[in-house]
Parts: sequence; C-alpha cells; structure tokens
Amino acid sequence: MKRWIAFAIVVVVACLLPLALDPRGYWIRVLTFTLLFAAMAQAWNIIGGLANQTSLGHAAFFGIGAYTSTILLLKFGLSPWIGMVAGGVFGGVAAFIIAIPTMRLQGHYFALATLAFGEVMRVIANVWVSLTGGPGGTSIPFSPPSFANYSFKLLLPHTYIAIAALVITTLIFEWIQRGAMGYRLRAIKENPSAAEVIGIDTTRVKLQAAVISGALMAMLGTLYVQVAVFFDPDTVFSAAGISIRVALVAILGGIGTAIGPILGAFFIIPLEELMNEWFSSSAAGLSQLIFGLILIVVILWRPHGFVTVFRSLRAKFTGGTAR
Amino acid sequence: MSVAPLLSIENLNAGYNEVEVLHGVHLRVFEGEFVCIIGANTAGKSTILRAISRQVPRVSGSLQFAGTDLSTRAAHQVSALGIAHVPEGRQVFPDMTVEENLLLGAFTARTASDLPARMQDVFTLFPRLLERRQQLAGTLSGGEQQMVAVGRALMLKPKLLLLDEPSHGLAPKVVEEMHDAFVEIHRRGTSILLVEQNVSLALDVATRGYVLESGRITLEGPSAELNQNPAVRAAYLGI
Repeated sequence: MKRWIAFAIVVVVACLLPLALDPRGYWIRVLTFTLLFAAMAQAWNIIGGLANQTSLGHAAFFGIGAYTSTILLLKFGLSPWIGMVAGGVFGGVAAFIIAIPTMRLQGHYFALATLAFGEVMRVIANVWVSLTGGPGGTSIPFSPPSFANYSFKLLLPHTYIAIAALVITTLIFEWIQRGAMGYRLRAIKENPSAAEVIGIDTTRVKLQAAVISGALMAMLGTLYVQVAVFFDPDTVFSAAGISIRVALVAILGGIGTAIGPILGAFFIIPLEELMNEWFSSSAAGLSQLIFGLILIVVILWRPHGFVTVFRSLRAKFTGGTAR
Repeated sequence: MSVAPLLSIENLNAGYNEVEVLHGVHLRVFEGEFVCIIGANTAGKSTILRAISRQVPRVSGSLQFAGTDLSTRAAHQVSALGIAHVPEGRQVFPDMTVEENLLLGAFTARTASDLPARMQDVFTLFPRLLERRQQLAGTLSGGEQQMVAVGRALMLKPKLLLLDEPSHGLAPKVVEEMHDAFVEIHRRGTSILLVEQNVSLALDVATRGYVLESGRITLEGPSAELNQNPAVRAAYLGI
C-alpha cells in the first residue's frame, strides 16, 4: 500500500514538473526524451532484467515501430495511434522470430546475436528504399493538430504521453515481476535446470518475455519519432544510440528493478545533454569522453546500479538492512 | 497376480550428441518400492534419471510411467505426471527464501488447496528448514540446501521421487540424516528411485537394487542379496 502511495506521489509530481519548464524551451524536450528512454529501458528490463537475457538489439524493435507507424501514416493516412498498435504487433512478431533461435544462447552469445539482429535491421532499412525512404530519412508529415491525429502544436502533450508511457511500462513490469510469470522468470534466472524439473517450460516463458518486451519497445518507437519528427535508419536502428543506451540506462539504474530504469534515464540522458552543451564547442569528442568517464566512475561506485543508493538510504532511516 | 509397474524402462539407449551412454537398460519400479541404482562414476546412473525426466536429447526404447508413454512428454511436463526429480548437486534457487523454493516445487499444482499441509509435512521431515524458512536458500549450508531440494520435490506430492546423488559432498552426519529422511519418505508412501555412489548406504536404505556398469545393467536383486554378492562386495564395498 505504501508503495502505491509513493508511486502516486511520484506520478503527480512528474505531471506538474513539465508545467514549470519553458513550453518552447530546450529542457522540456530533454525531459520528454528522458521519459521515453526510461520507458524503453523499462521495456528492455523485462527481458534483460527479469529473464536475464542481455539484449543488445532492441533498436530492431524500436525501428520497426518507428517505421510501421510512419509508413502507415504516409501511405495510408492512418493515425499514428493505429500505427503504434500495428508496430507493437510487428515488434512482438519480430521478437518471437528472433527469440526462437537465440533464446538458448546465454550471456555474451545472446548479446552478440541480438546485436547482429539490430544491425541487420539497420542495413535492411537503409537498402529497402522503396519502403523506408532509405538513408535519406523520413519526415513525419504534417496533420491537423488533434489527439486523434497524434499531432500537437506544443511539445507538452508529447511530454504527458511520455509520462503515461513510462507509467504503463512500469506497471506492466511490476505486474509481470509480482505474478506467476515473474516467479517463473526468477526461477529460470537463478537455476535453469531446477526450473525445468519443477515443471517450468523455460523456452516458452522466455519467449513470452521477449515478445512483451519487443512489442512495448516498438510502440515506444512510434512515440519517439512523433516527437523527433525526422529520422533515418541509422538513428532508429542505432546500436549505440538505442540498443546499448537502453541497456546502459537499465543497468546503471538497477537491472531487474522497477525503479532502476527511471533512475538510470534521469541520470544518463540529461547528463549526456549537459556534456554536449558544455563541451561540444571546446574540442570534438570531449563531451563523449567526459560522459564515458563519468559512467565508468558510477559503475565502479555502484556496480548494482543507483537503486542501491536508495536502498542504503532507506535502510539508514528505517534501521533495516539494505538488500 | 501381476501388478503393472509404476515405472517401466525397456531397452533404453540414451546419450548426448555422438556418445551413447546407456545400452539396452531394463529397469522397473513398482508402486511403494525403494529402488537404488549403484555403480561407478560415469556408469550412466544419472543419465537414467535424466532420461526419465526427458532431459537427455537422444533416447530410444520404451519409458512408461503409470500408463503414460514418457517419450510423448517434454521435460517441463514430466513433473505434472507425478515425477519429482532432485538433480545432482543441491539445485536450489539461491536468491529465493526456503519457503519460496518449496512453493515453487508445487508449481504445477499451485492451485492445490493443501499447500500449507504439504509444507508442514516437509517441515516435520526437515525441522531445520522451518527455522530457516525466511532465509535465502543460497546462504544455507550444503546439507540444508539438499534438504531444500528434496523438500521442494516433495511439495509436488510425487508418486515417484528421483534422487540423484543426494549425499554427494555432504558431511557424514548429514548423509545419515538424509538417508533417514528417505526411509521416512518411503514409509509415508512415496516410491523412490535413488542413484547413489555410496553403495553401502544405498543398499542399506533401498529394498531392491540395480548395478549399472558402463551403461549396462549387470546385476539386480533385493538389497540384502546384492549386499552379500561377492562381485558387488569386491567392486563397490571394498571387502
């Protein structure tokens, strides 16, 4: 119960926060992308945290979602909301297809296989010019501003949609983690052979997690490009910009916890922006270098993520022990 | 009057990839029996249990359990038939509490109304688990972890309990405790198929035994008989 009250307070504060920012300013844009990255990391967390399969190919699903809604809008005039659902279906199907051969792989091998899958999707999107517009990129066409058209004059509605997306992905994560599926995934993560003998269909459960994760990631791809307005294959299928960043956000925040991706995103995304703002004029690559160094320091300081900072703080106040 | 065996293995060949480990194994466990398989390391004892649990990729021959052809089942479906496998090497869920471990054992029967009673049965058998109920299984001693693994299997209320080297690597005192528990489990009505390297202990608790050598059954009979068999005594008991 206490958890839910805390959750409600955070959501209310999150809803008030954008109102304090300049509606045409820079920081509301950063906030919106931060929220979207938190939601993406939360979607990743289902497969990466609960099923313990470190995917480095989630850009594949992200890009599928981005292109599905945009192509449906461009060629058929369908609302991006419908495109988002269609993208979710395609993302889930893609996750299913890629998961069948890769799910038996563990650790590095799974990471490499998924990384390759993301890259393959990027190459396909670049080459298949008639469908995607190729490396030249695609713009979201203008539609009359309305909620049904997913088109707004200001950024603010996008920010609230991003908040809603983060709340929904977090609730889905919590629901999976606390339910029977969460126990199955934990059992598989802790001891796959024991999980099998007590009657858990390990392949099936991991497939389910992969499909949910992929579908959510694809839907977030739609939300992202609706804000970004312009994108190309190298952006949405980017290994460094999407796949690795999403994994990094979840890992740095606290893998396998509901709060981890949120903490990670609110640290990494604004930090990266700040570094770019401060250092990009002084020397090429300096901002990335400093950003990288900060990440190294953080991971050395808190190898299990920011979430451990909060746990030890809470333990200090309540006199309990940190887990 | 002949009774159909609970478990019937006929002409079982099994192996991994290119290597065949079992060659034409025949084995039966009747309802209420406590049967052991003894033999040297690498004889293929564990492979028999793993074949029953459908965890061996290459299998031919017949595997029947209580009227069900096991070859038609996938690994995760075996437990629902009433076969509980305690794999070799204290296979617990380390980051879960003892209680969560036990509850997961009844996973395929999670709607059963008698789960508290089942857990109580486990606690009367292993009182130490009751004390450790909320402790993470990974923090327990080796013997206690093995108790968790056995307790978890019992939560299924199995018709047949498969025990793979349950005393391996445990202190002698714990081994004895463990075997007392097996005798008690058997007395409560569960059929047991035990794989054990510790031959004298196995023949002590089991009612009947099979001797497996290089993937073939070379001897079978009541435990007392095997215990007196000169070949068994020479090869396994060092007498």
